[in-house]
Amino acid sequence: MSLYPVYPLRTERLTLRPFTRGDVDAVYAYRRREDVTRYLFDTALSREECALAVQQRIGQLALEAEGDKIILGVELDDNGALIGEVSLIWRSVEARQGEVGWIFDPNYHGHGYATEAANALLDLAFGPGAIHRVAARCDVRNEPSWRLMERLGMRREAHFREHALFKSQWDEEFIYAILWQEWQALRGEQTPT
Amino acid sequence: MSSLSLPIQTDRLVLRTFERSDIDGLSAYHALPSVQRYVFSRTRDASEVASALGIMRGHVSLQRPGDTLTLAMVCKGEKVLVGHVSLHWSDATAGQGEVRFCINPAYAGQGFTREALSALYDLAFDHFHIHRVFARCDGRNHHSIKLMQQMGMRLEAHYREHALFQGEWDEELHFAILDREWQRWTKVKDLPVRHRVA
Repeated sequence: MSLYPVYPLRTERLTLRPFTRGDVDAVYAYRRREDVTRYLFDTALSREECALAVQQRIGQLALEAEGDKIILGVELDDNGALIGEVSLIWRSVEARQGEVGWIFDPNYHGHGYATEAANALLDLAFGPGAIHRVAARCDVRNEPSWRLMERLGMRREAHFREHALFKSQWDEEFIYAILWQEWQALRGEQTPT
Repeated sequence: MSSLSLPIQTDRLVLRTFERSDIDGLSAYHALPSVQRYVFSRTRDASEVASALGIMRGHVSLQRPGDTLTLAMVCKGEKVLVGHVSLHWSDATAGQGEVRFCINPAYAGQGFTREALSALYDLAFDHFHIHRVFARCDGRNHHSIKLMQQMGMRLEAHYREHALFQGEWDEELHFAILDREWQRWTKVKDLPVRHRVA
């Protein structure tokens, strides 16, 4: 089933909305940093590369075919600043599999914004998206990222050791996942009817 | 790398590549429902077994990533085909190899697969210089799970409902072992009594 969400998506403190051409500077402010790109597949980006990244993201708003991505800018309602992005990838149409990811500006870490935005994305995936299982992965050393996955109610399904090379070193990777019925149980607890 | 020398002799088995004449031996087990239950490729009748044999006869060495080496397990005494093991070179830069195995249920439970896999791991790590060998199996396949544990492999992943397999939600386990772990493992086992300190 294709997914064409209506934007923006709103949470308590955040607005999840499509990227626009005006976002290049805000994206460059965090994607230029080594500490942000350390566990991403990309290296630190130049301003031109950020412009290209934003250009690509402007069109990534719907899931129509396997491999499609929805990538949304996360805006803080308090000051209107772009503080990061969240993404949802359609990994398998037949088995209804999705993958989520996130990148946040370190200046805004520690306020639960990533958790809030990622939860909204899970609601999109499991609700209108009718996805059955959502996975996320990160480097084992990226503790803030896998702690976030645990806060989202995801289970650690894999711990791969030296299964690939990542930035010229042996990679060690976690894969976390949550099933539709687990998400349903979590949301049921939070909003009793 | 020296050239691959086959067949390999183990205590009770000869491991060699498949031949045309293996069709009867392979048909005896490959299409059985209990074997088909957990295998990836579908071989349910004579023609599918024949084409599987055709493919496996081509699995003679690992020359480039993506290649597979499949070895028939032939029992030394009775000269009978009891199963097969394979090593797939899945990634060259990171030195990754995947093993698969299949045994005729009539010969299961006697350690033949374990014996064949030990020889295959020696080949993978010593001859092909693979860094990590992994194996996948269904979460309900307790024979394979036990075997992987006996091989000293670590459970690295337990996927739930991540795919569809034969019309059902799949539950899949990944086991793996690194070259340094396998070499230490086998060395410890082979250490003669007189070399033990305590």
